[in-house]
Amino acid sequence: MSSHGGGAIDSKPEKNPDVAYRALGSEEGAVLLHLQSGEYHGVNELGLVVWELIDGERTVGEIIETVREQTDDAPPRLADDVVAFLDSMRQLDLVVD
Amino acid sequence: MGGSCFGYRPVSDLAFEYLREGDGDPLEVRERDSGGEEPGGSLLAEWTPIPGKRLWARLHDEGEAYRLWVDGGGTFRIDPRTPSIEVPARGETPVRREERLWGIPAVLCLRARGDLPLHAAAVDLGGEAVLLAGPGYSGKTTLAAGFDAAGHRVLSEDLSCIRLGPAPAVIPGPAMLRIRRDVAERLALSGARDVAAGDDRVHFSLDPSRRGDSRPVPLRAVVMLRPSQNGLALEEVSAADALRDLWSLSFRLPGVEDRAVSFRGLAALADGVRVWNLARPLRLSELGRTVETIAAHV
Repeated sequence: MSSHGGGAIDSKPEKNPDVAYRALGSEEGAVLLHLQSGEYHGVNELGLVVWELIDGERTVGEIIETVREQTDDAPPRLADDVVAFLDSMRQLDLVVD
Repeated sequence: MGGSCFGYRPVSDLAFEYLREGDGDPLEVRERDSGGEEPGGSLLAEWTPIPGKRLWARLHDEGEAYRLWVDGGGTFRIDPRTPSIEVPARGETPVRREERLWGIPAVLCLRARGDLPLHAAAVDLGGEAVLLAGPGYSGKTTLAAGFDAAGHRVLSEDLSCIRLGPAPAVIPGPAMLRIRRDVAERLALSGARDVAAGDDRVHFSLDPSRRGDSRPVPLRAVVMLRPSQNGLALEEVSAADALRDLWSLSFRLPGVEDRAVSFRGLAALADGVRVWNLARPLRLSELGRTVETIAAHV
């Protein structure tokens, strides 16, 4: 089993149900609010794409592939970027496995 | 008696100083002799006193209703379902009591109605509302007074009621301006009456002929007020940055559910209207230019 950082590639991350989010217009990404802590976080457009794919059903690998399919001119380090993003989401308790 | 505030029409035997024209949703307001007792129930929020600026107050949850105790001001009982508000029979003058009525008690009712309260003043620029947002003592009321002196209608001086939807709107609040004494001495507020001096501010009841009613006014923009040492600067900000600032100015009760409701409302607001940062010197001599800048560019 391959893994990056703290999350396995075949793990199925879930959104923390105590997180509210709002996608913003004008290519601004989204904002997330942890409802327990009151902490507020902004994510960019790529982060929003990943966030919306997190459903507790898709694996990290499937999320990476879906992002790649949805992204024009996907950067070569896309997989690392997605995994790093998910790791940071876990550390902030915005995502759980 | 007739009149409205925040889209409510008080159903009451009491006299009101700050109502606007027109009709609204019925809001029962009656006196109750609470004897100055502190309420029971679980404590939801407490505002610690700031000498000369803010009284000690506590908000308690009684299940379906709330009780707000204000040191020296008595106890208000608020039932947002009805909606109805019991005001203390003893304590402060009727005008000061009405000012408190249109604060936290009204906020609890308008939240239950689905509207969004925000710590901001609001003015009417050609039939559209502009919110002047900032924390306490950031100059909101002074700037609103500057707009009044320039002939614009003031919709709220400190607390604004926002109706969300495809086209967000401001529902005008009490027709009052509580401004610093030095500001009051230098601004000509046409038709306004001084009705309740006593602290470091002059409490003006606005000219009845200029109040209008409390029907929703379409929201054009939000202006975040910031102090500056280096002149006037107006800059549009992103929705994400705006939401961070608006969050700090929102009224929230403890609990996950209430935070979620506030967040959704503020996010819709930040994403639906233009938000500007206005850095300006906090000098009375700059007030007219600040008003002109907002009116011309926002």
